[in-house]
Amino acid sequence: MSLIPKVGRCHFRVRFLIGVITAFLWVGVALHLFPVWWMFSTSMKSAGEVFQFPPSLWPKEPTFVCYKLFFYLSSGGWQSVQYPLYVYLKNSFIITGGIMAIQIPTTALIAYSISKLCSPRKSRFLFLFCIGTMMIPTSIALIPSYLILRHFPFPFLNIPKIPFTNAQFPTYNFLDSYWAVILPGMYSAFNVLLFKGFFDGIPDELINAARLDGASEIGILRRIVLPLSKPVFAVVSYFSFSGAWNNFIWPLIVIKKNKLMPISVFLYQLQEWLAHHPPTGEDPTVERLVQSGIGYNGLMAMSIIESIPIFIMFIIFREQLMTGIKLRGFK
Amino acid sequence: MKSSLSEVKVDRRKKQFKHIRRLSSIFALPAILIQLIFGWFPILTAFIIAFQKFYIFRTPPFVGLDNFKFFLSHNPLTSVVFRNTLYYTVLSLGLVFLIPIFVAIFLLEMKKSIIRIMMILWFIPVASMAGIIIWKWFYNPQYGLFNGILVSLGFPSLRWLDDPRLAMFCLVLPGLIMYGPGLIYIATLQSIPEELYEAAELEGVDFWGKIWYISLPRMRPIMAMMLILAVIGNLQVFTQPYVMTGGGPNFATYTVVMYVFDLAFREMAFGKATALAIILFFIIMTLVIIQRKYFKENIDV
Repeated sequence: MSLIPKVGRCHFRVRFLIGVITAFLWVGVALHLFPVWWMFSTSMKSAGEVFQFPPSLWPKEPTFVCYKLFFYLSSGGWQSVQYPLYVYLKNSFIITGGIMAIQIPTTALIAYSISKLCSPRKSRFLFLFCIGTMMIPTSIALIPSYLILRHFPFPFLNIPKIPFTNAQFPTYNFLDSYWAVILPGMYSAFNVLLFKGFFDGIPDELINAARLDGASEIGILRRIVLPLSKPVFAVVSYFSFSGAWNNFIWPLIVIKKNKLMPISVFLYQLQEWLAHHPPTGEDPTVERLVQSGIGYNGLMAMSIIESIPIFIMFIIFREQLMTGIKLRGFK
Repeated sequence: MKSSLSEVKVDRRKKQFKHIRRLSSIFALPAILIQLIFGWFPILTAFIIAFQKFYIFRTPPFVGLDNFKFFLSHNPLTSVVFRNTLYYTVLSLGLVFLIPIFVAIFLLEMKKSIIRIMMILWFIPVASMAGIIIWKWFYNPQYGLFNGILVSLGFPSLRWLDDPRLAMFCLVLPGLIMYGPGLIYIATLQSIPEELYEAAELEGVDFWGKIWYISLPRMRPIMAMMLILAVIGNLQVFTQPYVMTGGGPNFATYTVVMYVFDLAFREMAFGKATALAIILFFIIMTLVIIQRKYFKENIDV
């Protein structure tokens, strides 16, 4: 980019400007990395050192004892710590995977249809239908969605009867299952926006030329559009992964069974419990848990483990993230 | 002979056209179904639930505007939650919204190799819950890092999240301090044609002038979109206050959506909770409409 003038780069004022900007950026990077490092160093502290004041920057005797919480948990006195961490991690993976598996193909198809196949009028209408919910606050749908999932597909208790019979329509209770989180997450308006923005950038002539050559529509999609749109699939995968992974309020509402909780809800519950049970040495249960690593050091170890999958997703899709975003506002 | 050939051609084209139109519906169908059931249907249902008094095992009767009256007359919490939510939104938009834009602009001025390194370091992501937890730990008045720094520098320690005047600011502070570039802004900036900058340079436009006359106007559609999304998201803030303060101290960080959540899933007052969500809905819609009217998405305005 060429905001900085090409001529006169040696001029003092220009060099000063470059220096200030570079410093500003590096400070930002450092500030961003600091919490990560702090998490890491706290996770390696011993139970006693965590509560040292003022806190030490690097543990005196680094241990990885907290990371064994991932596999193994000594039976605690608290009901929420019944399962080792990998159970919650597995839940998060199932939920995120389920959401991505349905969300990405369906939104890609409808965006392609809006961008390239529909008549202009239908395309306009479908687009508004798709992104309209983006402008409407989701909190309004919290309670209705909860009720709908409780006796799917009816939101109210007076369930209609099947015509000509005396039986009610069958309903299904999705609450307290993975589906309760996956089903409402199956659609994402932002994905449609990303996909449509990208597909709009593929020239119509390319597709029309393929049609003239006798390619079928499915063939065009598979042989021309899909290979071209690898970047946008990378972008959508990254956004939808981190969105589903970080989802908190919805699993908090619909999943009450400890065994099915995603890791974000579990971490919240664990830190809430720790905040209300300070390790003063009076409560033997707390004392035992803290000794086995479920203190703030354990919490930080779990936070690191929670963050790793998003980081891996970023590393995988890093190259494509820059080229895949072609947004033009709500258009 | 010639005319019949073209007729055949037109016929084939028509058939193909029909085929495409039919295919467009088939492609759109799965997403339409999901969006209808889990997108629009709950929103419409909300407008029914808001007028009902909710019972778990009985068909809920309609109670007219009672649920709305509950909030609008003699409920001290209503004004508190709306004031807090607006305060949070203004603070967070004012302090945080512009940062990613400028960081993105500056970042692209660096050398290619430096951009690559910085991008990787910057996007070492912290899962959102992990980020909130580490900040809560920083703020901890007894063992936290911030008080540790203050005390070792000889200042009196602060109560951070437990201080009603400081608490809301503490919720916004992470976004202000951990500044980083927005992926979407970087992508938009890269799509601006280089010639514009070269032409500006020939005319002697300086660094800030280029940002003001080229970069920012070109990013306007995206900024308008992100601003709308940020307004909607911030007015519905839940996770940060819920995890960090639980709404305290003394309701200083109690927000609208937290109130909705507590009404619905602690007190099982689904009707009242939905009514409150609908009040919030109308406020947000008003803001969005105003914004779309005055913040044009068009580049050439």
